[in-house]
Amino acid sequence: MGGGKGGVGKTFLAANLAAALARTGARVVAVDTDVEGANLHTWLGVGSPRASLADFVSGRVQDPLELVVGTPIPNLGLIAATHGHLAAAQPEPSRRIELLQRLKRLPCDFVFVDCGAGAHPATLDYFLVGDEGVLVLHPEPTSLENAYTFLRAAFYRRMHLVMQKHDVRERVREAMDQRNARGIRTPLDLLREIESMDPEEGRRFARSMRSFRPRIVVNEVESAEEIKLGFSVRSVCRRFFGIDADYVGYVNRDPAVREAVLARRPVVEVRPGSDAAIYVQRIARKLSEAAAAAGAG
Amino acid sequence: MARMREEHAGARGGALDHYELLELPRDATREAVERAYRLARSTWADDALAAYSVADGAELAALRERVELAYRVLSDAEARGVYDDALGALAAQEPGEPDLGFDDEEVKIPAELPAEIESFDDLDEPEDGHWSGASLRRARLSRGLELEQVTAVTKVNPLYLRCIEEERFEALPTAVYVRGFVTAYARCLGLDAARVSGDYVERLQAARPSHGLRRRPRTRP
Repeated sequence: MGGGKGGVGKTFLAANLAAALARTGARVVAVDTDVEGANLHTWLGVGSPRASLADFVSGRVQDPLELVVGTPIPNLGLIAATHGHLAAAQPEPSRRIELLQRLKRLPCDFVFVDCGAGAHPATLDYFLVGDEGVLVLHPEPTSLENAYTFLRAAFYRRMHLVMQKHDVRERVREAMDQRNARGIRTPLDLLREIESMDPEEGRRFARSMRSFRPRIVVNEVESAEEIKLGFSVRSVCRRFFGIDADYVGYVNRDPAVREAVLARRPVVEVRPGSDAAIYVQRIARKLSEAAAAAGAG
Repeated sequence: MARMREEHAGARGGALDHYELLELPRDATREAVERAYRLARSTWADDALAAYSVADGAELAALRERVELAYRVLSDAEARGVYDDALGALAAQEPGEPDLGFDDEEVKIPAELPAEIESFDDLDEPEDGHWSGASLRRARLSRGLELEQVTAVTKVNPLYLRCIEEERFEALPTAVYVRGFVTAYARCLGLDAARVSGDYVERLQAARPSHGLRRRPRTRP
């Protein structure tokens, strides 16, 4: 779950999609990586987790499986971001890679990773490691602006990691600066640039570009117009970034969500018949179908 | 002749053709063309939310102009036929995918275009088997309709429609009228109007205190 801006509903969706899939019988782990604003545990009804990523960062624990704590929802485990620390640091880059690799191997059907706000390299890596990167939007300009920045940053970071030749990697790094001297404004510009530098890297780039398919969710919609926003964002991504995104659904504004937060439980648990819960369940179904189709787990 | 050239301009070397611009397959129906056009118009509108911070006014204006042109051609059977023939001739001349400057059997960008602007999987079966204000609203939104558009078709005041969706029964007139409103609303959405209005009036009567004359609603088996 990523999306750049704070308050658009990343944690709400992570908690509720995880709970929705757990309710269908899948084994699910929700991971909170937002060390500076950790609260996924509260969305899931876990008061004070007894273990967290902070244990991994400090080196006390090596295996993330030991960090999983139970939640009131059957089949749903949680890895909290912090416990008892005011603000734990993100793991060092090398530890981070280790963490991500281990998270991918957790013995369960789905892992949901809640990214924090912003576009810190750590946040981007958490977003990129997933088989499905879900981009959460709010129907307002501030959210879209941050979401596009986030998407661009995630894209360039991924390409920087995929490219193998030094000069090509340097070019990707240059392109990350939107005001770069070469006039590379979009991923498509960069593709053309790299292709002219090195055809082999160009092919690698294009292949990786194709598999970068963010899933768009528009949260707190109030009108049919706002629902269509997801399709429009998909068009903008295609036209201006050359990135294919999928619009996997929307969740409408529903007072049941606030009720659920106050009860510190996922809305799919306390109000399964509410609008928000029904929409979340549909998105969960779509994501699990996509994962099944991709042969991922 | 100048106009003809302009209309075929999009089909040439690398630039998007009218179908690609509107994100439509070549065999798109007339209805799909309409939908795609309306969506493209709102996507590239001057005050459009989706393009915020990405495209500037001039880029948006250029896109809108191309969208209008694409729509003019694709919505007119004759013009579309001529255009299709021209596209076909071009494809025969230069077989293969849009040229990205290198050849790779695997790579096509954009990947396949969507069959058409898909509507979300249908929410037409209410979750608990009974129609309610909330399930009517979900069915409406999944069709991309605002209340005002429903009013335009049904002539039912949008305030009443909103009260129906929000189940503010105290603000609604007697059951006979409500049944009529809900029937018109359901029909406008293409739903089974008798079933929807039956379910809805049952909810209404269960929620309203009986005035003695009214029989208690029977519950469904």
